[in-house]
Amino acid sequence: MFRPTLDDHKVIGVYTGKVVLGVGMLMLVPLVTALVFAEWDTAVDFGIGLMACLAVGFGLQAICHTERELRRAQGLVVVSASWILATLLGAIPFILSGHIGGMVDAVFDVMSGLTTTGLYLIQDLDHVSNGLNMWRFVLTFAGGQGIVVIALTFLFKGVGGGIYQLYAGEGKEDRLMPNVVHTARAIWLVSLVWLAVGTGALTVTALALGQEPVRAVLHGLWTFMGAFSTGGFAPQSFNTVWYHSVVFEVLCIIIFVAGSLNFAVHWAVWTGDRAELKRNIETRSFALTMALFVLVAAIGLARAGVYPDAVAFVRKVFYVVASAHTTTGFATIYSRATVTQWGPLAMIGLIGAMVIGASSASTAGGIKGFRVGVITKAFVQDIRRMVSPDSAVVISRYHHIKDRVLNDATVRSALAISVAFLTMHALVTMVGVYCGYPVVEAAFEGISAGSNTGLSCGLLAPSTPDGLKALYTLAMWLGRLEFMAVFALIGWGWSAVRGR
Amino acid sequence: MRARALGYVLAAALVALTCAAPGLAHAATPSSADLVEDPTAWDGQTIEFTGEAIGEAMSRGDEVWLHLNDDAYARGTIEEGGPLSGYNSGHAVVVPPQMAERVTVFGDHKHRGDLVRVTGVFSAACSEHGGDMDIHASALAVVERGHDVTDPVATGKLWALAITTGLALLTAGAYLARRRPY
Repeated sequence: MFRPTLDDHKVIGVYTGKVVLGVGMLMLVPLVTALVFAEWDTAVDFGIGLMACLAVGFGLQAICHTERELRRAQGLVVVSASWILATLLGAIPFILSGHIGGMVDAVFDVMSGLTTTGLYLIQDLDHVSNGLNMWRFVLTFAGGQGIVVIALTFLFKGVGGGIYQLYAGEGKEDRLMPNVVHTARAIWLVSLVWLAVGTGALTVTALALGQEPVRAVLHGLWTFMGAFSTGGFAPQSFNTVWYHSVVFEVLCIIIFVAGSLNFAVHWAVWTGDRAELKRNIETRSFALTMALFVLVAAIGLARAGVYPDAVAFVRKVFYVVASAHTTTGFATIYSRATVTQWGPLAMIGLIGAMVIGASSASTAGGIKGFRVGVITKAFVQDIRRMVSPDSAVVISRYHHIKDRVLNDATVRSALAISVAFLTMHALVTMVGVYCGYPVVEAAFEGISAGSNTGLSCGLLAPSTPDGLKALYTLAMWLGRLEFMAVFALIGWGWSAVRGR
Repeated sequence: MRARALGYVLAAALVALTCAAPGLAHAATPSSADLVEDPTAWDGQTIEFTGEAIGEAMSRGDEVWLHLNDDAYARGTIEEGGPLSGYNSGHAVVVPPQMAERVTVFGDHKHRGDLVRVTGVFSAACSEHGGDMDIHASALAVVERGHDVTDPVATGKLWALAITTGLALLTAGAYLARRRPY
C-alpha cells in the first residue's frame, strides 16, 4: 500500500472544491425563491450557505492548486469527500431555519435529500418557507442526477479515466456516450425534458384539484422533483395523501417509474430504440419482482381486510408497492398505518421491494434489478449445467443495451454488492432492535434508509436516538454510493496513515 | 335569598349537563395519533376533531378537502417563537363547500391557520374516497381565527452573512491569483 503524496491530496482537494462550488450554485435556486416570496430570513440563511460554499470551494482550489490530472484511484475519493462536504454545507440553511433539532438531524435531512431517500427529521414542515422547501427538492433532484454529474456538466473539461471514476462513483456505470462529460449532459437533457413535461402535467392536475395557481406550480414542480429523483420528499407532512386524487397518483407513478429506469434505457428510447424497454434485463426483472411483491402485499392486506372495495384495494397496493420498489417513498397512507392497518405480511412485501430497488444508473437505490437479474440468470445457468452432459458448454445471455454473454466477473461483482447490501440491512435492523423497536419495524425503517427509499412506518422521529439517526445517515450514504466510493475514502485515509 | 339563587344556578347547570351528555357521548375527541394508531376502533364513529387548517381548501365540486393539524404548532409556530415539538400531525377532513367558506386563513410559513373544530364520521378506509383515511364533517366551527406571522432577520445572521461573504471574496481572490490554464 503506497502512501499518497502531497500532490495526490492536492488533486483531490482541487476537484472536491469544484464539486463544492457546484453545490453553492445549487443554493442560488432556493435563495432566489426566498427573495421572490419575500422570505428575508430564509434568503439570509441561503446567502450564508452560498458564501460558505464559495469560501470552501475556492479555498480548497487555492490551497491545493496543482496542474496534475485526476487519476482513477483519486476519482472515488473525490466523490466521497464531495458528498461529505456537500452534506455539511448543505445543512447550514436547515440549522439556521430553526426547524431542525440539531446538527445530527440537519445532516440526516441533507443526506436523505442527496441520496434521494426521502426520510426527514425537519419539524413543523407545514410551516417552513418556500425557500427551504425548495432547497429540500433541489437537493433530492440534484442527488438523483448526482452532484458530481452536475459538476461534470458545468465545471469540468477533462475526459480522462479519473473523470470517469467521478461519474461511476455515484453508482452510474453506464456511459451513454464515449465522453463522460457528454454523458452527464445527456442525463441532464433527459431529466430537464421530463422536468418540463412532468411539472406541467402535475401543475395542471393540482389546479384542477383545487390548489391556488402559485401553490399548484410549486407543488407540481416539487412533486415532480420528489418523484423523478425517486426521492420521496413531499411539500406537506401528509406526503401524497394530501391530493386525494387517482389522476395525481397515476402521474406520480409514471414519473417515479420513469425516474427509476436506467438512464441508458432512457437514452436508447430517446434515440429511437423503444424495444430496449421490453428487452432490457432490468425492466424485465423489475416487472417480475413488482408482480411478486404486489402479490405478497395484496395477500397481507386481504387478510387484514382493510379496504372496502377492489378499486381502493388495487389503488393503494399498487401505488405504495410501486413507490417502495422504485425506492421513491411516496405514500397515500399515513406512516403509522403501515403498521396499524397493513400489518406484518404486507410490510414484508414492501421490505422485499425496497431491498431489490430499481435500475442501476438511475436515481433509484437498492440492490438493483440488474444484479438480481444477473444473479438469477447465473443460478439458472448452474442448474442447466447440472442437468446437461459433461461435454456441454452452457452459455447464458442477457440484454442490457446490447446482447451480452453472462461471465463470472459480472456475476461476482453483482454478488459482492448484493451481499454488502444484505449485510448492511441486517446490521441496521439489529441496531434498531437493540434500541427497543419491534423487529419488523426496525427492518422496515432501516432497509428504507439503506435502500434510499424513504417510506416510514413511524419509527423515525426527531426523538429517535441520535446514534440510530447517525447509523441511518451512514446507511443512506453507503447505499447511494454502493459502498465502493466510501471504501475508497477509508482506504485512502488508511494508506495516508499506514502506507509506505 | 342567596341560597335560593345558588339553588337555581345548580339546577340550571344540572339540566345543561343532562342535555349535553348524549352529545358528549357521541362526540369523542381523539387526536390524529389516536385515530392512526387504532383506526379499526374508531371506524364509523362520530368524533370531534380540532386542528389548524393547513395549506388550502381543495374544492372538488360538492365537497372540499381540508387538512387539520392537531400538533403543538397549531397553538404557535416556530416562527412565532414556539418550541420544536416533533413532526406535524393531523388529519384530512371532507366538508361541504358552504362550511369550508368559514375557514379563511390557512397555515403556511407566513400564517398560522384558523383553528377549526369539526364533528363528523371517521372512516379508516373510506369507500367514497379510494380507501383514504378521512373524516366526513357534518359540523364545522372556527374556534380561533388565524393570523399573519412575521419572521424578522436576526442581527446575528447578518453578521454571519458579512463574515462568510468576506471569506468567500478572500478565497476567490486567492484562487484567481494562483489560477493557471490546465
